[in-house]
This record gives sequence, structure tokens and C-alpha cells, in this order.
Amino acid sequence: MSPRLLLLPLIAALLVGCTAAPSPTPSVSLRQVTLLLGFRPDVQFAPFYLAQQAGYFADAGLDVTIEFKDGADLMRLVADGRAEFGVADATDVMISRTAGIPVKYISTLYDHFPVALIGPSGKVPAYPGELAGVRIGTPGEFGSSWHALRALLDAGGLAVGDVTIREYPQFNQVGGLLNGDVDLITGFRNNEPLRLEAQGMSVDLLTVDEIAPLPGPGLIVADGLLASDAAMATEFARAIVRALKAIAANPETGLDAAVAAVPAIGEDRATALAVLDATVELWSQDGAIDQAVWTSGYATLLRLSFIDGSVPVDEMTSPAIAGTP
Amino acid sequence: MRRLATALLSLAAFLLAWKVLTFVTGTPDYILPAPEVVGERAVRAIGSGLLWEHTAVTLSEILLGLAVGAASAIAVGTALGKSLVIERVLSPYIVAAQSVPVLALAPLLDIWFGGGLLARVLICALIVFFPIAIATMVGIRSADLLLVELFRSLGATRAQRTTRLEIPSALPVIFGGLRVGVTLAVIGAVVAEWAGASSGLGVLINIANQGLFDTPLMFVALATLAVIGIGLHGLVVSVERRLTVHP
Repeated sequence: MSPRLLLLPLIAALLVGCTAAPSPTPSVSLRQVTLLLGFRPDVQFAPFYLAQQAGYFADAGLDVTIEFKDGADLMRLVADGRAEFGVADATDVMISRTAGIPVKYISTLYDHFPVALIGPSGKVPAYPGELAGVRIGTPGEFGSSWHALRALLDAGGLAVGDVTIREYPQFNQVGGLLNGDVDLITGFRNNEPLRLEAQGMSVDLLTVDEIAPLPGPGLIVADGLLASDAAMATEFARAIVRALKAIAANPETGLDAAVAAVPAIGEDRATALAVLDATVELWSQDGAIDQAVWTSGYATLLRLSFIDGSVPVDEMTSPAIAGTP
Repeated sequence: MRRLATALLSLAAFLLAWKVLTFVTGTPDYILPAPEVVGERAVRAIGSGLLWEHTAVTLSEILLGLAVGAASAIAVGTALGKSLVIERVLSPYIVAAQSVPVLALAPLLDIWFGGGLLARVLICALIVFFPIAIATMVGIRSADLLLVELFRSLGATRAQRTTRLEIPSALPVIFGGLRVGVTLAVIGAVVAEWAGASSGLGVLINIANQGLFDTPLMFVALATLAVIGIGLHGLVVSVERRLTVHP
């Protein structure tokens, strides 16, 4: 008998041993779902990491897989049922819903619109009407940055042609501002100002909240899922609100969860904590949908022709899910 | 005539397969629009002038990028082909430049060169450069050695050997590189626009995909890029047929 054949029973025994070993089985069968997050792994996604690691999702009967997708793909994948949940800009929900993509916004993550116009201290106008002639860097004619910029210009009685727009589709507008190619940039007020200040630039912000209120990013689901399993969507939204509250009470908890999920975030813990602290200030604490802000944002997007009004604003959200205690 | 009929039949088969796929799978338009939906959107985009506005920008970037990239690639490729010393000195840099993903480098090039047409043409030229330069180098070295000796014995200068023997005999290979380069120029223009631009088909793709969630319009822009690529490739093949001898 060949030596190789002699080894076969041993290999078989090892395989049986491996497969027969007791594996941990959850006491409750959890439902497998997928959550899609836009952009890239970041400390701002700490609530999702915490909900996963602290068992908030498990308490809701869910085993959540987190994936990262481009914003436009995210919307389509959720609508098509290839992922159950997503995080998206409310303004994008309005536009995609109008374009026939059947998603609904079910819970608010950001009470304050996170995008602002950012520039060197003393160079940022206090009123949008003073933006005429200014060079502004923005990723492109899409997404929350573009919507915020257009809303601000509109509030100031200005059109796109009244300013000089320079596009940075790779989101490298910070480089453009530091390089002096533009006077102001659009950016997330919980992120870019900190990055610029780390580079030695003291900055001022022009935010949209008081000037042209727009609803912030939140959780989205497909119409189909909402119709078939609203209870699951409610449980998921509750788990996120639980995580938002826990991190607001102790940001270090969120940072630890983010570092455990993405160790690279811990490379500069102080900056990551500063970003998280700034982010917490923008978060909703109950997930409730502010219908007044949605109505105002809808009217702004309609006036700017981002949407045509064919889908009413109340068909874009599901307030029954949001803010459930 | 027969060639045109074959091309039309092939196009019809492609459209039919596409239609069958969308029909059988029931894929919604926001994931994969049916061909007639894309066609209807194309008519609207042409009618409003939107498509031409962006196509004209991309076409100019492609043609300028191709001109700059091909001219410099043929010059450098000729030098590489004629001198082993130059090849040893330059090759590592050329290969390194080709190995670096231009998509990652493009945003920096955009900032370094001021973000205008110049930056986009340079990015496009960078992508076009490598296949044409390598094809030229190989082509120059493939000149018949007996003819090279004949030119030498007749007292031809280096310049005469290059212009009257080596480049003409390298033309089929150079055109091989140009065929690849012309399609890469289309990709190069879009990559350049994605690094920073306000108009162009790459920008239109971004606007349609991420701004308007208008998947049919995105397909219109993609189809336009494909048509530009096919057209320019056909043009190169046509010039190649005129300039080179076919057995």
C-alpha cells in the first residue's frame, strides 16, 4: 500500500474531528440582513459598528453584515432588495424616488445638514448673497454637497453662473483650498474643518441649516421590505437610535467600536475622537423625521429643478418607523 | 456594402439579446434599462443639446490627448528603438509610469496643472503613451537588417535611415499601437474628467448616475463613448490601410 493511501484514514479522522467539534450556536436564530454604507469605513459610522459589536442588532433579532458602496449603487441595491438597509442623503432620496427608484427614508441620522461652505477665517461670507464672484470647490453636480451649494446660492438670490465652480470628483477639494485654487469648498462640517485646521488653516463655515433647511442623511429601505416586514425595519431603526444615544453619552465607546471594526481609525485616535465629537453634535437622538424640514427641502429641490414634483413629499418617508421609542 | 450589412446585423443581434435579457429577468430600468428606454432617452438628450454639449468637450480632450500622447510616444519609441542606452535609462521610468494607476494619480495631476484642459489632455496623453511607444520601439527594431546594411553602404545618414527605412517599415506595428492607443484615449479622457471637470461625457456619467439617478442617461453617455471609440478606431484602420502595404 502506498504511503499516501496510508495517510488517508488519518486525514479523514482529522476532518471528522474538525467538523464534529461543537460550534457556538446562537440561542435565538438571527435574521441575516445587509446594511450598505456610502463612502468609506470611517469613525462617523461608529453607531453601526457599536450596534453590531454590543449586540444591539442581535437584540433586534438581526445579524447585520455591513458593506460599503457608492451612493448611487447603494440606492439601487436597496431598492432591488439586494440589501435590506442603507444610509443615504435625504436629498438623494427625493431625487431617486422621483426618478422611479422605490426607496423610502425611515429614520433620521443627522438632525443637522452636515455639509457647509468652508474657507479660511475671515474669508467666508456671513450671507449667501455675498458669494457672487467667489471660486468654490465641490465634488461635482451630485450629492449633498451640490444640493447644499445650490440651496445656499438660491437663498442668496444667486445662480450657478454667479460663482466660479471648480469640481473635484475625487473629493480632494481640501487640496484645492490649501493650494489656493479656490476660495471656499463644500465639505462635511464634522470632518473637513478638522483636516484643514490640522494643516494649519483656521476656518470659518457657512452652514445651510438656518438659511435653507435641508433634511440630513438617514436610514433607507425599499418599498417592498416596508410592505412585507415593517416590524424588522422598526427594530433595526431602534437598534441604531440605541447606538446613537450610547455614543452621545460616551463618545469613547463609539471610537472603541470603530477602531475594533477598522483598526486604521486608531492610528490617530485624537483626531478620530475629535471627528466623532463633532459628528455627535449633528446626530439625531431619536431618529424622528422632521416633516417641516422635509417640506422645506422638497420645496427647495423643486424650485431648483432637481425634482419635478411628480412624487409628493409624504411618499418619500415613512414616519411611522422613525422615532419609535 | 457587405461589411455594413454584417455590422448592422451584429448590432441588431446585440440589441435583441439585450432586450431579451431585460425582458426575461424583469430587471428594473434603474438597474439595466431596456434598449428602447435608452434610445428614447438618447433622443431627448440630443434634442435638448445636452449630449452634444458634453460630447464636444470629451471629443476635443480625446483628440488633443491622442495627438500629444501619440506624437511624444512615436518620438520616444523611435529613440528607444535606435539606442540601447536610451532604452536602459528611460525604460524603468516608462514602465513605472504605466504601472501606477492613473486613476489615483489623476487628481494630483489635475491640481498640479491647474485643473483645466491642459491637465485633462496630459492625463489622456499619459494613458495613450505606453502602447504606442512600445509598439514604435519594437517596430523600429524590426527593420530588415539587410536593408539597413544597404542604406549604410549607400552612405545614408542616420536621419535618412530613420525616416526612409526604419519608420516606414515600422508603420504596421506603430499602427497596432495606435489602435490600442485610440481606445485608451477614450478611457483617458473620462478618467481625466473624473479627476476634475465641469463638462464632458465622464461628467455626464457622474451627473446621470449619482446626481439624477437617471440610469438610461448614463447608458446614453456610455454608448456615445463606445461610438467615439469605434469611430476613431475605424479612422486609424482606414489611415493604416492607405499608408501600409498589405500582402
